[in-house]
Amino acid sequence: MADFRLPANSRIRKGNTHRAPAGALALRTFRIYRFDPTSGENPRVDTFELDITGCGPMVLDALIQIKGSIDSSLTFRRSCREGICGSCAMNIDGLNRLACTTAMEDLGRGDIHIYPLPHMPVVKDLVPDLTNFYAQYASVKPWLVTHTPPPPDRERLQSKAEQEKIDRPAACILCACCSTACPSYWWNSDRFLGPAALLAAYRWIIDSRDEATGERLDALEDPFRLYRCHTIMNCTDVCPKDLNPAKAIAEIKRMLVERTS
Amino acid sequence: MTERPLSPHLSVYRMSRYTLLTSILNRATGLALSAGLILLVYWLVAIASGPAAYRAARAVLSRGELKAVYVILLAAFSYHFFAGIRHLIWDTGHGLERTQSQRSAALVAIASILLFIGLVWWALHAGGRAP
Repeated sequence: MADFRLPANSRIRKGNTHRAPAGALALRTFRIYRFDPTSGENPRVDTFELDITGCGPMVLDALIQIKGSIDSSLTFRRSCREGICGSCAMNIDGLNRLACTTAMEDLGRGDIHIYPLPHMPVVKDLVPDLTNFYAQYASVKPWLVTHTPPPPDRERLQSKAEQEKIDRPAACILCACCSTACPSYWWNSDRFLGPAALLAAYRWIIDSRDEATGERLDALEDPFRLYRCHTIMNCTDVCPKDLNPAKAIAEIKRMLVERTS
Repeated sequence: MTERPLSPHLSVYRMSRYTLLTSILNRATGLALSAGLILLVYWLVAIASGPAAYRAARAVLSRGELKAVYVILLAAFSYHFFAGIRHLIWDTGHGLERTQSQRSAALVAIASILLFIGLVWWALHAGGRAP
């Protein structure tokens, strides 16, 4: 249920400040959420002043620089540094985005505020626990389900138009920016599948080779799993891959209505 | 090992984003209109109860404080009306691209302001006159 207040162990206390050494040429100030699971203390927000001379242009570059030169305990996920792995999704200046594709220059001149993806259990610092998110993805059976035997001499073929339908939905990198931007998901992530899992469900529903369309729609026809979506549009607003989970969800709802008439 | 904290949400997310503004406003105006129904029901019950009850209700409903409430309800109605149409169009699967929803959010804001001005003008001039 909707609980607008953070639980007692999650309220943020004042953190430490790391001042830049004198003579810094280009300063940027970062306010970064920190949580150390071994300390037994509440999360805090640390302030880092970083001389970004010689640092790469992206927020991820700055995080790596801070970890390398100021505080090696700063913890975050990252891998590809080019927006294809989805590891470095976090809340940067109030919006969920990938640190690796967010340029510091585009964030204005003020302090850069960095938090983990919203309303998630925090493992450490900027690392959220995505167990539930992945389980929800698995629950929509993100694989081809068939009942007929495959053709003996070739693959199950698709026309170009059929492939184009799934091009965009299949480009999801499961970064969780969309689901953790969704207030419905904040309040009901235990029962609402969230935009990412529903986009994946849609991708298989409309796949011309898949033969479980009816079963897939049956599984989603539920007041919570699908219909907690109230078309707030935060998902489509923040998707770093320019995908459209909101439209996918609307299409699933439409298909459910159409098959009853 | 302590229990994992919950990452902040409402306190850090950018609430001024058009997606959240339009959603919250749609809900708030919907709530206001539901509450306003009490006044409408009171008025209808008074009509059904005869001339004496209607005169008494009319005296209550013409109070200055309630007129301020009517202005708020007109504003709520103006927004909720167009926001509802926007949601209806969305439910058909149309207008859900990012730029389309930005444009429709602006359109709803402009249309609701115009309707609100029109309704207030009507209430002050044509509709405000006693029959």
